[in-house]
Amino acid sequence: MAQQTNIPTTLYPEGAPLKRFIKKRLGRATLWSNLFMLATLVGIIALIALLYNIFNSAFGFVALQNKIDPTALVLQVQEEQLLAVPNVVASENDEELAAGIAADANAIGFFGYAYYQAHADQLKLLSVEGVAPAAATVEDGTYPLARPLFIYSTQKSLQTKPQVAEFVDFYLANVTNEISDVGYFPASSALLAAGAARLQEATVNANEGERSDTIVTTGSSTVYPLTVRMGEQFAAAGFTGVVTGESTGTKAGLAQLCTRGSEVDIANASRAITRVETEACRKAKVQPVELRIGSDAVALVVSRENAFLEAVTLEQLRQIFTTAGKWSDVNPDWPDQPIARFVPGIDSGTLDFFVEATFDGQLAALPKETLMTILTANVSSGLIRRFENDQPFAERSQEDIYQLVVERVIESQIVRSWTLRDSLLQRTEIEAEVAQIPNGELVFRNWLTADFVTSPQSSEPLQAGVRTALLGSLWVILITMLFALPVGVGAAVYLEEYAGNNWFNRLIETNINNLAGVPSIIYGMLGLAVFVRILEPLTSGRLWGVVDPTTANGRTVLSAGLTLGLLIMPVIIINAREAIRAVPNSLRQASYGLGATQWQTIWHHVLPTALPGILTGAILAISRAIGETAPLVVIGASTFIVMDPNSPFAKFTTLPIQIYQWTSRPQAEFRNLAAAAIVVLMVLLLTLNASAVILRNRYSIKEV
Amino acid sequence: MTAIIDGGPHHTNGTVTHRYAIEAKKLNIFYGSFHAVRDIDLQIEPRKITSMIGPSGCGKSTVLRCFNRMNDLIASARTEGEITYNGSNIYAPTVDPVEVRRRVGMVFQKPNPFPKSIYENVAWGARINGFKGDMDRLVEESLRSAALWDEVKDKLQQSGLGLSGGQQQRLCIARTIAVKPDIILMDEPCSSLDPIATLKIEDLMRELTEQYTIMIVTHNMQQAARVSDYTAFFMVDDNRTGHLAEYGQTKQIFTNPKEKRTEDYITGRFG
Repeated sequence: MAQQTNIPTTLYPEGAPLKRFIKKRLGRATLWSNLFMLATLVGIIALIALLYNIFNSAFGFVALQNKIDPTALVLQVQEEQLLAVPNVVASENDEELAAGIAADANAIGFFGYAYYQAHADQLKLLSVEGVAPAAATVEDGTYPLARPLFIYSTQKSLQTKPQVAEFVDFYLANVTNEISDVGYFPASSALLAAGAARLQEATVNANEGERSDTIVTTGSSTVYPLTVRMGEQFAAAGFTGVVTGESTGTKAGLAQLCTRGSEVDIANASRAITRVETEACRKAKVQPVELRIGSDAVALVVSRENAFLEAVTLEQLRQIFTTAGKWSDVNPDWPDQPIARFVPGIDSGTLDFFVEATFDGQLAALPKETLMTILTANVSSGLIRRFENDQPFAERSQEDIYQLVVERVIESQIVRSWTLRDSLLQRTEIEAEVAQIPNGELVFRNWLTADFVTSPQSSEPLQAGVRTALLGSLWVILITMLFALPVGVGAAVYLEEYAGNNWFNRLIETNINNLAGVPSIIYGMLGLAVFVRILEPLTSGRLWGVVDPTTANGRTVLSAGLTLGLLIMPVIIINAREAIRAVPNSLRQASYGLGATQWQTIWHHVLPTALPGILTGAILAISRAIGETAPLVVIGASTFIVMDPNSPFAKFTTLPIQIYQWTSRPQAEFRNLAAAAIVVLMVLLLTLNASAVILRNRYSIKEV
Repeated sequence: MTAIIDGGPHHTNGTVTHRYAIEAKKLNIFYGSFHAVRDIDLQIEPRKITSMIGPSGCGKSTVLRCFNRMNDLIASARTEGEITYNGSNIYAPTVDPVEVRRRVGMVFQKPNPFPKSIYENVAWGARINGFKGDMDRLVEESLRSAALWDEVKDKLQQSGLGLSGGQQQRLCIARTIAVKPDIILMDEPCSSLDPIATLKIEDLMRELTEQYTIMIVTHNMQQAARVSDYTAFFMVDDNRTGHLAEYGQTKQIFTNPKEKRTEDYITGRFG
């Protein structure tokens, strides 16, 4: 019977105090739940920051510097091919070409538009891609074989050097008289007038600087002869100083012009300045002044006697000047007659321009044979023999040879790399910076490519890969699992199912629990002493006679796997014990009740039921082993090997060691490589974990 | 091999060589230093149902578990005295508990089917005990004997854990009789079941007495009165040590108990 209590109910709060009390308690609950949410948030932020850092470095722009400009290389080989086909007459003398074409109904040829005009009575002009060359189509660039010609000066030169302003003024006024002699097409008077106006505007605030007697010009090789000629004319007109001229190419010329404190007054250009170059100028505080002086147009001509040809396409042009032997090869409607080709000589800028405008100048797109030609022409014959010995060229793919050309001829080197963030946000600045690099090239590089995964280590960031380290990691983990899983689970079964509760077993238990907290470097020292040194004959493979005894040592995959196995064994034991302990006793009793032995009970009921838990522990342990670096450093993992590990007795390196090694290199590119390797490591981890989870789930479903 | 196995199962032996199915003599059980059960003398009639009743903590389950040496699984448990089966002491040092359990099966308080298919639940015990016959027939026969066949015949490959509580308990009984034991121990087999499932199990027990000797621990007086032929009443003394207070035919115990304590207990005056 319930006893009457003397404690009054009034000791509990009632009414308003009760409400306040409940509110207070609820408030405390909210505070705690918010704190827990905050803790989760910190975790999420840390994860995002980690991923951001990795991906920020794994992708981004790199500035490549080429020893040789690939476009020049392509141009050269294509020109050589053009001149090497049969039935070619190459001449620097345009008169000769014109006469030759005029005399042969089956001839075709090209030269500067100006020369055509001189021989228009004997020659027929062809339209290209449906556009006939004329003053208007050439000037606005719709005719495919035309390009504009410019000279660029700077505001500063024009304002501070009166002689430059005078020369440019002279240039614009007189260029039309001279340009045809050089072979180019004059600009319309409207364009020249616009240039003059711009010059006027630039010099309006001219502060008569000190008159000097040099005018420095550089840039396009196409415009170079014209500028030199204008310089001579200027001298003839009374200029007492010197107009120096250099032919460095449009890109280099503009880069020189747009350098702070540049000496260059005029840059010749055979194309308009690009957005990136303008940006580079802006950064160097140089204001370029653009002046159009004419056009370079190639006239494609046949004889007046030619009745079948009025227009060609670029595709037909490519055939006519390379592969086709007869006109009918290009178009069946055309006569079955050999094509007679008349081409300006190799030193001619016209040839360069024709090839550039007609052929696709991509190195990677060149056929294998062409790439071979480039390779043999540019590397020593000894090296070629070595490549041939590694793998005969006949068996190599176009891609393979392209790689060789890139490595050995172009010799691309990374000068700088940018993070993904900078690549996205500061694109213009990066482009401007790269524009300053001679032969520089800006490439968006994904550091994590298939090549990266399949290439061995290299000291060249562009060629380096993680294959060796990846295979090393897989080998070590395989040994670790084979060793630690059976031994660890076996020990757990013994401790849970067989061992009695005596002081010795308790001692063992305590020790195992403590071992799980021992720093991994201690295990490394243990592994070094036991596996690498004492058990050297076993772990090096010497005793089994499978390795060369003179070079064998104990620093092998086997030693590493065993050491990591020892390292994770306590974790596996502890987790497996938890899992076995969680198996309900009623299950064991049911089994014993049917007359099962202890072993049958363990094997048929306890282990299968505990398996998901055991696997979960094993996953955690193996994940730890994959990421472990310190013990392997002690054991003596190689920091640089290119040989794939192929047996338990192989030398090895692993992904974490590779990452560690790359991050400690001074060059920034290796940090990009490290980031990519981290992604590989993460994917490896996820793959292993996912497969274990799938295995576990499949097993659980089958059982229940 | 010992006499436990040599004699063959009690129920298949045409000539009954021993008067009792199993017999406890001077049985004392200790948990560490705690004296749990004292001086039990109990003779179990073959092919009858003997129920064991008594208040909580009187040691009736402990005694039951001695008959197939399940107490061996408890590290601190210690048994003195004898339990004779087929003329041999099952606690003799030469006897392994595995031999005993081959002849003395057990059904537990909470249904505990294996986390395997229904078929495998029944077949597993037979397989580990070396059954060589037609396994499908054995499974069907055992499930029929346990009055479960009609309910599960279409889902033999499904998990035994998917059945209801009563079905699970009958599955456990089917699993037990599949290995053809001599004696079946039942430790409160209906305590976690509803009345309908309980009734089914009780009917089943009556049917099983044709072949098996059954010992059942129960807290349910009506159940003991309904199903059992003999009843053993256990009591606990001031030291919390259990002992056998009265043993006899169920009719006699429930209608004309010799002991006052028995009468008090079964009429609900204490406990």
